[in-house]
Amino acid sequence: MRIIVHKNKCQGHARCWAQAPDIFNLDDEGYILPGDIEVAERDELLASRGARSCPERALEIDATADALLTRLLFNQACGGVK
Amino acid sequence: MACKPVPDHVPPEMVKDFSLFTSPGMERMPNGDPHAAVACLHDAPPIFYSPNNTRDGRGTWVITRAKDQRRVLQDTATFSSHRSIFASALGENWPMIPLELDPPAHGVFRSLLNPLFSPKRVMVLEPVIRERAITLIDRILAASTSCDVMKDFAFPFAVSIFLGFLGLSDKERDTFVGWGRDLLHGENVKRTAAALAIVGFIDELAAMRRKEPAGDFMSFAVGAQVNGRPLTDEEVRGIGVLLFVAGLDTVATAIGFDLAHLARNLKDQQLLRSEPDRIGLASEELLRAYSTVQMIRVATKDIDFDGAPIRKGDYISCATMIANRDPEEFDCPNTIDLAREDNRHTAFAHGPHRCLGSHLARREIVIGLEEWLSRIPDFRIKGGTAPITFGGHVFGIENLILEWS
Repeated sequence: MRIIVHKNKCQGHARCWAQAPDIFNLDDEGYILPGDIEVAERDELLASRGARSCPERALEIDATADALLTRLLFNQACGGVK
Repeated sequence: MACKPVPDHVPPEMVKDFSLFTSPGMERMPNGDPHAAVACLHDAPPIFYSPNNTRDGRGTWVITRAKDQRRVLQDTATFSSHRSIFASALGENWPMIPLELDPPAHGVFRSLLNPLFSPKRVMVLEPVIRERAITLIDRILAASTSCDVMKDFAFPFAVSIFLGFLGLSDKERDTFVGWGRDLLHGENVKRTAAALAIVGFIDELAAMRRKEPAGDFMSFAVGAQVNGRPLTDEEVRGIGVLLFVAGLDTVATAIGFDLAHLARNLKDQQLLRSEPDRIGLASEELLRAYSTVQMIRVATKDIDFDGAPIRKGDYISCATMIANRDPEEFDCPNTIDLAREDNRHTAFAHGPHRCLGSHLARREIVIGLEEWLSRIPDFRIKGGTAPITFGGHVFGIENLILEWS
């Protein structure tokens, strides 16, 4: 699973960090660091809870971003695995 | 205060006889429930015009739905915060900073102040906060089996932590609390006197810290730079006054409403006492159910907001206590469920003006409740007494006499 971070929407509520401080990293001002977050399978529940807690809707759960699927699609596009 | 006439551009069918100041349930009264009184607005249209909805009798548009309030508060280009409410009480015109600045100037000052109030910085303050709570509660326990939570715990606790943060002496606490009360809840004469006293105090403190820095907040402010230049005297004043006013009664009021709820709902009290790990989540639900602040914005241009013809200069009220009871946002919004998940309430506002002190406030509330519940046995509202609550632009609770055995 991947969390898409809309950094410009973050207002520093830090509710995601309160749920999962190891998944959602904040800068010195207390706002989310830029860049989407790849979530390991074991952390998915916690991460989605954190994403859903954002009052500004700055965190979007990208359920289509299955790592294995992405790799397969990439390989396919490159003429790899059929 | 006489209310001003409804402007011509407001369609008569959009005017509603509602006011946070004068509607039923908003008055100062024993055992009141102003939050429940505004919850019934969700039976009304999502936006309407209230002819008398500020302390000086001005009309405002009222946005009731959570998602619409979010839209307003996130769109600072259309809905400005620049009102100089504090200064205008003195016939002056300078902003409280960062609250009454709009982006991009707002962001410059937020970036300056954010690190001082970040979640990680607040964690460092935790032992001091906890010690302060324990000292006060132990004193209460040693003295009696009853107390006025507001006078004996909530105010001394919240205000002393805040004053410590600002580098101010706890000795003058009662004076400061009095200024805050007069400013937020007093009539015009008292309000102006309090505003003058606060400005005078902040200016004097800033001058002292300029001469001799003391490693406290005001020393930081007078030594700080924005855009490669030091802050002006007016900017230092704008920051100092805002922090002073913002910290005076918000946290104390939240603790008061929370403990009143627990005193009246013994099952909830029992739950948190036996499972203190739930206090964090529960405090969010209590913030939702008993939020106290109204945000007002000013339209910077004419816009049509879902059929409401908002004109440049109109006031738009986003009252947290209304949005936080929105059934489209919260299942059974009038049920206070201490285990509620997905609780994206608006107690600390939305958008760039999200409460700067929210992380400090949250820690104070959680620690206050933790220490209270772990030390004070089963408590209830003392027989023959009644908490006095009130509505208005900031909801409040004046007294809360609890007893235990």
